Amino acid sequence: MNDAVTTGGAFVAVMRRDLRIYLSYRTRLVSQLLTSLLSLTLFYYVSRLVHVSGFGSHDAYFGFVVVGISLISVIYSCFSIPDLVRQELMVGTFDRLLLSPFGAIRSVLAMALFPMLYAFVMAGLTLGLGCLVFGLHLHSATAPLSVPAMALVLLAFLPFGVLFAALTVVVKQGSVGTTWVIALLSIVGGLYFPVTLLPHWVQTTAKLQPFTAATDVLRHLLVDTPLNTSMSAALLKLAAFAAVLLPLSLLALTSALRFGQRRGTIIEY
Amino acid sequence: MSSRSLMPAEPVLRYPAESDLTQQTGAVESAAAPLCLRSVSKRWRKDQRRVLDRLDLALEPGTATWVGGRNGVGKTTMLRIASGLIEPDGGRAEVWGVSASENRARYQRLVSFLPAGDRGLYARLSVRHQLEFWARIALVPHTRFRQTVGEAIDKFDLGELSGRRVDRLSMGQRQRLRIAMTFLDHPEVVLLDEPLTSLDVEGAALLHAAVDEVLARDGAILWCSPGGEHLDRQFDSRWTLERGRLVAA
Repeated sequence: MNDAVTTGGAFVAVMRRDLRIYLSYRTRLVSQLLTSLLSLTLFYYVSRLVHVSGFGSHDAYFGFVVVGISLISVIYSCFSIPDLVRQELMVGTFDRLLLSPFGAIRSVLAMALFPMLYAFVMAGLTLGLGCLVFGLHLHSATAPLSVPAMALVLLAFLPFGVLFAALTVVVKQGSVGTTWVIALLSIVGGLYFPVTLLPHWVQTTAKLQPFTAATDVLRHLLVDTPLNTSMSAALLKLAAFAAVLLPLSLLALTSALRFGQRRGTIIEY
Repeated sequence: MSSRSLMPAEPVLRYPAESDLTQQTGAVESAAAPLCLRSVSKRWRKDQRRVLDRLDLALEPGTATWVGGRNGVGKTTMLRIASGLIEPDGGRAEVWGVSASENRARYQRLVSFLPAGDRGLYARLSVRHQLEFWARIALVPHTRFRQTVGEAIDKFDLGELSGRRVDRLSMGQRQRLRIAMTFLDHPEVVLLDEPLTSLDVEGAALLHAAVDEVLARDGAILWCSPGGEHLDRQFDSRWTLERGRLVAA
């Protein structure tokens, strides 16, 4: 029990460290809120221009895209892990984490906590700004359920961040691949437009990856968009991704660390 | 405890055969030392000669060992292997008979490593927050967490600096903080790579006091620096690393 408390304290300590570093840059929160506001403004006026089949009104498309950009920012937090690992490698703190009783694997997982929590809060603020400034209407009956659904989405995408972190340990480049994975997900996952607009073979691809299921579930819960599949099927798909990929990604990270230690490249950056 | 004594004239020690190491765990335990490097070899590139060539070293309880040698001769590589940061191509590093790959958590609880240079700090954290963070990562139990951090601040005279951010410290002050982190949770084996870098006289005295404290509780110190003549302390054994092996200094 005491060990569990001490280990839990170490996870919290990593999160507090990241919060303290974040707060040491005093203008960061303001600039990120402004970015969200500008992004919302852009899409609000784009939504006034476009007529997409399947959307009854301009506001329906605006709600669709606002949930999409909120979700992608949360998912992006999982993909920030490799950059964080790269930063730790560069300042020499990764060595210390590796040589600590807490260990490198738990440290890498702990590194994901603050960005994920922060993205969660920012997504909430983006949706709040959408409601306050642009009249976005959230479906109050199901909106609270989006919180546990979002947590499941994070678990489904965390393995991708851990896999890229493993790659970073080996090749020493933080954002290798993550940028185009996010861009690809944005396209085939229906971030800005429904996947039904895409060519048929791309739609098949869209059904295979978890982003489409995530957008589908969250849009339904937040702005009452009709589901493309059943809720249980979409949630099951996300849970399956988490259950299968999380152990595999941890195995990949363990192997990458061992590789770095055997070759001696763990000290390089 | 080991029954062997580390004599300057005999840097290469006798150990059980490699087959015995894997089969006679008890025998190894009885021959264990706080830190033991057994026939450790490391080569950085296939076309280069070994930087460490079947190197043997055992640290006895309550002893301080100095290893010197020219720049690039392999001192830091030896320390990195001893700390568990990198693995040797051959041989093994053990703490009380256990290697890092066998029980990493225990190994890392017992061994602490101060790398050379000024890296390993979070620039935008204060001194106190830095120490608190590393105490948590070191899994210091909640019951003695505050005491551990407070002791480190007092012992290394960091009280006035405790609220100051690391990027606003001088190089010597940063080094004092790095040393405080190294000695934070009463390690049994402390590996020091050029620890006097940037330290003033007072900082060096604090380092020596911390080293003495480790020795007093039967811990072991391995101190590496290019030259040892200027070091203001007595070592129980002094070696020079040459061509991948230790020779008496």
